[in-house]
Amino acid sequence: MELELKQLRDRCLTDLNDVEELKTLDNVRIKYLGKKGELTIALKGMGKLSSEERPIIGKLANEIREEIENNISAQKQLLEHKEIEAQIREESIDVSLPGKKHLAGNLHPLTTTVNELKEIFLGMGFSIAEGPEIEWAKYNFDYLNVPQDHSARDLQDTFYYQDDIVLRTQTSPVQVRVMQEQKPPLRIISPGRVYRCDEIDATHSPVFHQMEGLVIDKGITMSDLKGTLDLFAKKLFGEQTKTKFRPHQFYFTEPSAEMDVTCFKCGGVGCKVCSNTGWIEILGCGMVHPNVLRLCGIDPDEYSGFAFGMGLDRITLTKYGITDLRLLFENDLRFLAQFK
Amino acid sequence: MFVSLNWLKEFVDIKIPPYDFGEALTMSGTKVETLTVVSENVVNIFTGKITKIEPHPNADKLIVCTVDMGTDERVIVTAAKNVFEGAIVPVAVDGAVIADGTKIGTNDFRGVLSYGMFCSIEELGMNTDLFSKEIMEGILILPAGTPLGMDARELFWLNDVIIDVELTANRSDCQSIIGIAREASATLDLPMAGFTIYAATESSNQIADYLSVKIEDQACPRYVAKMLKVKKIEASPLWMQVKLLNSGVRPINNIVDVTNYVMLELGQPLHAFDYDSLQSQEIVVKTTTDKKIVTLDDKERNIDETMLMITNGQAPVAVAGVMGGENSEITEKTSLIVLEAANFNKGSVRLTAKQLGLRTEASSRFEKGVDPELAGIAALRATHLLLEIGACEVIEGLIDVYPCVEALKKVNLDVNWFNAFVGISLTIAEISKMLTRLFFTVEKISDHVLEVEVPSYRLDIELKEDLAEEVVRIFGYDMIPGTIMGGETMVGGKTPVQKFQDALKNILVGQGYYETLTSSFTSEKRLQGLNSQREDNLIPLINPLGEENSIMRHTLVGHQLEVISLNYSRKNPFGQFFELSNTYRKNEKPGELPIEEQKLAISSYGSEDYFDLKGAVELLLAQSGIKYPEFIAGGSDFLHPGRKAEIFVNGIKLGEIGEIHPVVVKNYELPKRCYVCQLSFDALFECSSLDNKFTDLPKFPASNRDLAILLKSDIPAAAVEAIIRKNSGEILESIDLFDVYTGAQIPDGYKSLAYALNFRHHERTLNDNDINPVIDQILSELKRSFDAQLRE
Ligand SMILES: [Zn+2]
Repeated sequence: MELELKQLRDRCLTDLNDVEELKTLDNVRIKYLGKKGELTIALKGMGKLSSEERPIIGKLANEIREEIENNISAQKQLLEHKEIEAQIREESIDVSLPGKKHLAGNLHPLTTTVNELKEIFLGMGFSIAEGPEIEWAKYNFDYLNVPQDHSARDLQDTFYYQDDIVLRTQTSPVQVRVMQEQKPPLRIISPGRVYRCDEIDATHSPVFHQMEGLVIDKGITMSDLKGTLDLFAKKLFGEQTKTKFRPHQFYFTEPSAEMDVTCFKCGGVGCKVCSNTGWIEILGCGMVHPNVLRLCGIDPDEYSGFAFGMGLDRITLTKYGITDLRLLFENDLRFLAQFK
Repeated sequence: MFVSLNWLKEFVDIKIPPYDFGEALTMSGTKVETLTVVSENVVNIFTGKITKIEPHPNADKLIVCTVDMGTDERVIVTAAKNVFEGAIVPVAVDGAVIADGTKIGTNDFRGVLSYGMFCSIEELGMNTDLFSKEIMEGILILPAGTPLGMDARELFWLNDVIIDVELTANRSDCQSIIGIAREASATLDLPMAGFTIYAATESSNQIADYLSVKIEDQACPRYVAKMLKVKKIEASPLWMQVKLLNSGVRPINNIVDVTNYVMLELGQPLHAFDYDSLQSQEIVVKTTTDKKIVTLDDKERNIDETMLMITNGQAPVAVAGVMGGENSEITEKTSLIVLEAANFNKGSVRLTAKQLGLRTEASSRFEKGVDPELAGIAALRATHLLLEIGACEVIEGLIDVYPCVEALKKVNLDVNWFNAFVGISLTIAEISKMLTRLFFTVEKISDHVLEVEVPSYRLDIELKEDLAEEVVRIFGYDMIPGTIMGGETMVGGKTPVQKFQDALKNILVGQGYYETLTSSFTSEKRLQGLNSQREDNLIPLINPLGEENSIMRHTLVGHQLEVISLNYSRKNPFGQFFELSNTYRKNEKPGELPIEEQKLAISSYGSEDYFDLKGAVELLLAQSGIKYPEFIAGGSDFLHPGRKAEIFVNGIKLGEIGEIHPVVVKNYELPKRCYVCQLSFDALFECSSLDNKFTDLPKFPASNRDLAILLKSDIPAAAVEAIIRKNSGEILESIDLFDVYTGAQIPDGYKSLAYALNFRHHERTLNDNDINPVIDQILSELKRSFDAQLRE
C-alpha cells in the first residue's frame, strides 16, 4: 500500500511536470485528487488495512495529498507567470505610432473675445442685457439724443426695415430699454450684433459687433468712469497696461472721451499694430447725457452714470493680429482651427 | 481738416515743438491725426529772374538762360518750354537738394555748363494734386514782383507743418484757422492775436444804387453783401497762394482766392458774383420752380422746389450754401463783383447737397453749422484783403439782412455740483480761469455759482454738463484720478438663458464642432437655392447693400451650406460646424417689432453620415437634460426626402435634421453628402433641465433581457421603441438597440432589430415572475401593431 501510494505520487508529479497550459492543469488535479481520482480511490482501499497500518498509511496519504496540492499550486504559479510573459511578448506595440484622431472644435475667436470681456465685467458686478437687433428708430436715435437731422439717420448710413424701424446701429438701445424698465442702481453690459451701411472690406462690415456698458447710481463720477475702465484695460491686456483718456464727442454722453491703451504688442514703444504711436484706441465713453437720463425716466439731479462702447470685431482683430476683417465672417476651417 | 502751423502761428505764438503741440491739442479735444512737414529735403533753391534766353549751339531742344539771382548771375541750361525772358522761377543752385532727395550740381550740357536747374512744383515738394497738368509739368512761374534770391523754403513755406485734425461733429466753430487758434490759445494758455477788417468810415451808401437783397425763406437767417469794383483779375500774391496750398485749396485768381482764404481763416463760406451777369438789381433768396442750374463746375444739375436758391429775382444764380452758378461766374471781363457772406440752415444745406450729390468746402461747413455773427465780419475781412492785394476798389455801403439776431446764451455752473460730478475739487477761481481761457465771459453770482456767457460761435454749449466738459478738458482728462465705484454692491452674473447658450456651445465644441460667424443677410435668390417655397414672413430691407443682402435671414441653414461650400471649394476635406444666432421674421401683430428667434444650426460634411450628426444631436440633448427625443420622418424641402426627420420632445418640435437634398447640393455647389440640423433655441431651453440632482445608487441588481424582433423594414425603430417603453412600466431602466440586421435568414422586406433591455426595481431584486409578463405584453403589442415576431 505504501509503495502503491508512493508510485501514485511519482506518477502524479511526472504528470504535473508535463502540464504546459493552465487550462489542462485542472485535469491533473481531477485525475488524482478528484472524487473519482486515483488517490481518493486508493484511500478507499484503506478499510482493508490493519488498525496498526491504518494511521501510518493515513498519515502518508495526507502527506502525499498535501505534496501534490503544493506541487499543483507551484506549477500553477509557474504556468501563470509563463502565460503573462508570453502575453507581454505577443502584445508589444510600436508606441510611436500616431494616436487615434479625435476631432477638435472650438469657439469662434469673436466669441472667445466676448467671453473674456464678459467675465471681466461680470466680476465687477455687471449683468448682461440683451435687446432686439431690429429696433424702433426712436430707441436707436431719439432716446439717445441724436439730433433729428443727423446724417446717421440717413438711408446711406442706417438700414431701414420700415420708416420707423431700423437695424440698430449700436447696442445703446439696449441701455435705453434697461433704463426704462429697471430702477437704478444699474450695472449692465450689452454685447451684440449691429449694422451700418458699409460695404465690406478689410476694416468695415455692414454686420459687426459691439459691447456697451452702462452704470447708473447716485454719486457716480467721472473718476469712477476712469477707475472702472482703467481696471478693465488692466484685466484685459495685463497689469502693466496704461490708459489715456482723450476728450471726444458723443450725443449719448457729456463729457465724452475716447480711451487709448498702451500697445500690448510693443508695450508703448511703437510698432505696426499701434501704427508706431504706442497707443491703441479701444473704446468711447462718457458721463450719460442728462437728456438721455430724462428721456429714460431717470432724474439727472438724483442720479448720474457713465457709459462706454467698444467694437468687438476690431478688438478681436487687434488681439489676435488678424489683418482682414473679412476673415472673421468667411469661416474657412484653416482660419477657425487656429483659435483654441 | 488740414491746418497750416505757420498760419496758426500768426494768431498764437506757439513755441513748443510741433509734436508736443499736436499732443497738447489732442488731449484738450482737437484730435491731431498726423503732422507732416511740406518738404523736408529741399535746400538751396532760390528765386531768380531769366534775363536772357539764347538757343543752345549744339542742341535744338535745349535753351541757354541767363538768370539774375539777385546777388549774382548764372547760366542755366534747360529743356523747359514754358520759360520766357522776364520770368521769375525757382532755381536749384549747385549743392541744392530737390524734394525727392536728388542732389543738383553743375552739369555739362553738350558743351555748355549749367550751374543748377529750374524747378517744377513737384521738385519743390508742394502739393501736386492741386494743380493742372500743364502747370505740374512745367517750371513754376512766380508772380512778377517776387523778390530775387529768396530762399524757396521760406517763400513757399516748405518748412510749414500741415496738421491733420479730426474734428468732432459738434465743433463747427473749429473749422477754421481762428477756430483752431482759439483752441491752441486756451490749451497752451497763450494770448490770441486779432485780424484786420475793412473799417474805413464811409460817406455814402453807394451800394443801394446797384443792389438790394430780399430773404424769402427762413432757411437763410442772414445775408450780407458788399460790392467792389475790380481793378484787375490776376493771380493772387504768392503768400496767399501758399496758405491756400498748405490748406489743400487750389489757387485760382485774386478774387476767388480771397473768398477761399477768408473761408479757411474764419470758417465763413463766401461767394463772389459777377454783377453784370446777374442782370438784375436785386438778389432774392428763395426756393424756385426751376428745373436745372449749371454750377461752377460746368455740370448741369437737376434742382427742385425743396432747394434754397440765390436768385436774381427770376432765375437761380447759385445753389445756396453749396455752389455758385455758371451764369454769374467771375471772368476776366468782370468789372463789378457782389461779395456774398450769408448764413444758411444746416439742415437745408445738408439735404440739398445730398440730393445733388455735391459736397463742397462751403456745404460741408454749413452742414455742421456756421455762426450767423460771422457773416458780417467775414465780408469786411474779405473786403480788406481785396483792397490790400490791389484787386478791387470799394463801393461804399453794406447790405446786411439779418432779421433775427439771437442773444448770447447764459449757462450757470455750480462749482459744488461740478466737483461732485467729476470727482475732483477745483476752486471757483480755478474754474473761472479755465472758462475765461476758452473765451467764455464769466461772472461769479454767488460763492459757488458762475454765470457763464457763451460766445456766439459755440453752438454746442447749452447745459452745465457741456461746461463741465469744457473745464475738464482744459484741466486735463489725465489729471482726473481713477476711483472704484461706491454705492450698492451688485451681484451681476449670467441669466439661466445665457448660461444655457454657453453650455450648448461648449457641448458642441467638445464634440469637435467649430463655431461659425455668418452675416444676418440673405436674399430671395439665395433662399431659392434651398428648394423651398417663397416664404411670406420675411423681413426685406428698404435700403440693402445689393440684392444678395436684401433680406434678414429666417433660417441659418443657407449660411451653414455656404460655409460648407466655401470649405469644400478650398479643398478642406471635411468639416463640422455650428452657429447659435438670431433669425428674423415678420410679426403679424401690428405695432410690434419683427420676431427675432435664436436658432442653433449644426452641419457637417466629409467624414460623417446622418447617424454621426444624429448621435451628436442626441448627446447634445442628453447633456441638456432633454429625455426621449423623438425623430419622426419628415421635414423641410431642402432635406433629402428619404433622410430627414423632425425632432420632438413631449410634443414640442425642437427642429429638424437630415441629409441635404441632391438639388440643394447642386445649387450650393456642395459635396455630395452634407448633413444639417437646425433647432429652436427657445424650444431647447424650454425642454432642458440643467439642474443636477443626485439619486442613490441602485441597491438591487438589474436583470437583462435581449429581444430580437423580426418585422417589416418600413416600420421605424422609434415606433418599436415607443411600444417597448409603453409596455414596460417603471421597471425598464434602459433600452439599447444594438443590432439592425437584414440578410441571410431574414425574409425580403423584413429586418431584425435586436434590443438589450435592462430592468431594475429600486426596492427588491426582480425575478422571472416580474419580467416575463412584461416581455409577453411587449411581444403581443408588437405583434398586434406591426405583426412583429420574436426571432428565436
Ligand atoms: Zn505697438
